[in-house]
Amino acid sequence: MTITRRTVLLGATASAALLPIAARADTKEVVIGVLYPLSGSSAQIGVDAKHAFETAQDIINNKYDFDLPLARDAGLPGLGGAKIRLVFADHQADPQKGRAEAERLITQEKVCAIVGTYQSAVAVTVSQVCERYQIPFISADNSSPSLHRRGLKFYFRAAPHDEMFSKAMFDFFDALKKKGQKIETLALFHEDTIFGTDSANAQLKLAKDRGYKVVADIKYRANSPSLTAEVQQLKAANADVLMPSSYTTDAILLVKTMAELGYKPKNIVAQDAGFSEKALYDAVGDKLEGVISRGSFSLDLAQKRPMVGKINEMYKKNSGKDFNDYSSRQFMGLIVIAEAINRAKSTDGDKIRQALVATNIPGDHTIMPWKDIKFDAQGQNDDADPVLLQYVGKKFVTIAPPQAAVAEAIWPMK
Amino acid sequence: MHDVTHAIRRRRDLIVAAVLVALAACVPLFVKDVYVQNIMVLTLMYAGLSQSWNILGGYCGQISLGHALYFGLGAYVTAILLTKFGVLPWFGMLAGGLISALIALALGYPTFRLGGHYFAIATIVIAEIAYLLFLNWDWAGAALGIDMMVREDSWLKFQFLRSKLPYFYFALFFALAAWLVTWWLENSKWGYWWRAVKDNPDAAESLGVVVFKSKMGAGAISAFLTAIGGAFYAMFVSYIDPDAVMSFQFSLLIALPAVVGGIGTLWGPVLGAAILIPLTELTRSFIGGSGRGVDLIVYGGLIMLISLTRPDGLLGLFSRRKKEVAR
Repeated sequence: MTITRRTVLLGATASAALLPIAARADTKEVVIGVLYPLSGSSAQIGVDAKHAFETAQDIINNKYDFDLPLARDAGLPGLGGAKIRLVFADHQADPQKGRAEAERLITQEKVCAIVGTYQSAVAVTVSQVCERYQIPFISADNSSPSLHRRGLKFYFRAAPHDEMFSKAMFDFFDALKKKGQKIETLALFHEDTIFGTDSANAQLKLAKDRGYKVVADIKYRANSPSLTAEVQQLKAANADVLMPSSYTTDAILLVKTMAELGYKPKNIVAQDAGFSEKALYDAVGDKLEGVISRGSFSLDLAQKRPMVGKINEMYKKNSGKDFNDYSSRQFMGLIVIAEAINRAKSTDGDKIRQALVATNIPGDHTIMPWKDIKFDAQGQNDDADPVLLQYVGKKFVTIAPPQAAVAEAIWPMK
Repeated sequence: MHDVTHAIRRRRDLIVAAVLVALAACVPLFVKDVYVQNIMVLTLMYAGLSQSWNILGGYCGQISLGHALYFGLGAYVTAILLTKFGVLPWFGMLAGGLISALIALALGYPTFRLGGHYFAIATIVIAEIAYLLFLNWDWAGAALGIDMMVREDSWLKFQFLRSKLPYFYFALFFALAAWLVTWWLENSKWGYWWRAVKDNPDAAESLGVVVFKSKMGAGAISAFLTAIGGAFYAMFVSYIDPDAVMSFQFSLLIALPAVVGGIGTLWGPVLGAAILIPLTELTRSFIGGSGRGVDLIVYGGLIMLISLTRPDGLLGLFSRRKKEVAR
């Protein structure tokens, strides 16, 4: 065969046509949608979440020597080293906007999974959209127990829900009672949105089942300008344990009002939220020595698992903060979905779902105090053990459960 | 002479509306993107809601900052009837509208005696009370809200898995209905009464206008239409909670398009919604992801700009030009 000008031309065109394809195969990426409140009153949560997700993305996309899924590889080996790309969207804590943004992420940005959403009400509509489009939804940090009980096939939550959190508190009370402490009466103090309502319902039920007397059950208006009347009721009840379920601004107001009215609770065991936020301790930390909050994360884990400390440093470099209860769960949310996509070797929603169902990550391959990550038929991880943390000497120490504890609880609090 | 031009103007309005509706109805043939369709649905919904608000707030001059109450009632009645009693949303919608109209009459009885700012304050307070009641009413879902799972496409249940078109055409119908009601009322005896009441209630009364009754009429019609919009919203989002349908923010969102577009005018709410809604949605989606709140700054800045340069609404732009031409 003689080489004519035409064949040269043909060959050149063919290789030119092939080039972009080859290039595309190299830079193949997996797009994941991240839906958080990035403006409005909970914008700070969204901004912190962004840093947590970017830290997880960095670990997945680059090589790190951690015992964490996908850390030792660059990108997803199951998909030829494809990198994770995140698309952030803002739902402004509005279920309607969450739904619209989820639809946009799926149809325009072509995401293969969505992670979100902080507010449980928004998770309701976002998970509905994901179900309709057969795209997995990772509920990273929503704690409402009603979420996974709706018969959804594409809903997954690796972290504990509020009933598990409340159960951990009552297990702790039971253990203290066995040691001879007197705990008989409880006072519940909760805000009136989905979070406070769910939390109080779970606590009321547990108190009844385990024989604790609820001497005050006070529901208050979230973001209330004054809590004086409510605190007076708490003071009158003077229960053995005060159990608040409050977001940050309300928690600050509660602590200030208690100090003004001269009420010093015997013990405070809080349902996370405001009580795990740095802002609360910056504002009124001096009045909170000995307060106990449930959590799903504890930096004490770094003593047993050094990578936790190193990853925390990476996060801190981005955000200026230590991992807290929310950012750690958000971080794990992306690791869990990326690990499943890697095993699915596909970005098809149904195949990722099947991989998620088969998830089995041992606890020491996470940054959490959990036993492991496995999803039940409803998409809930029942092995996510919560921890109880006590605020002692300007930092939190883990006091329960026994396998994660590094110190004895100071009871009653000072 | 005046009568002839008036009749011509009214006929021209009707023709413009017919052309706009026909054009809008064709848009989904070309725009297949669900995200853009979603913005169009919301724009039409707010155009209808603001038009409904305009009947009471614009024409009759009774500034209500509590329309979230009627919106929420429409949404809740429809959702509760559907999830608890299996009543189809088409009937739930009418029930919600009627209940809202009755409540508007019951609330109007004491509040329409209040003048000016006191009426506005009363509407805020009443809507806030209703919001708190729903937030604490366990049977109605309290803070957890009502989740209406969509299992299949169904016209009977007005639920659709992925398609936005049925919602789009309903929203178009709703906006058109609210516009036609306004168009018709504008030229009726009531329309003239309302404007008289707005300008000077005492003078109107002395000339034989039944001020109190005409306010009640405006309140009931406005509440009925707003509740239909609320019922639509519940079906469209398929989940409602007190924060999402009854918060004070909604009262403002309902009034804003009319205020920005031109309060007490036929076209003001439509124009206001057509500008404000796409603006909020697009800025949030395309610059809201940064977490710096730029989208809200842009949005707030534009509203300030409009209110400073066109205090009587954007519609003023058109009428001014017309006057200049006439000169």
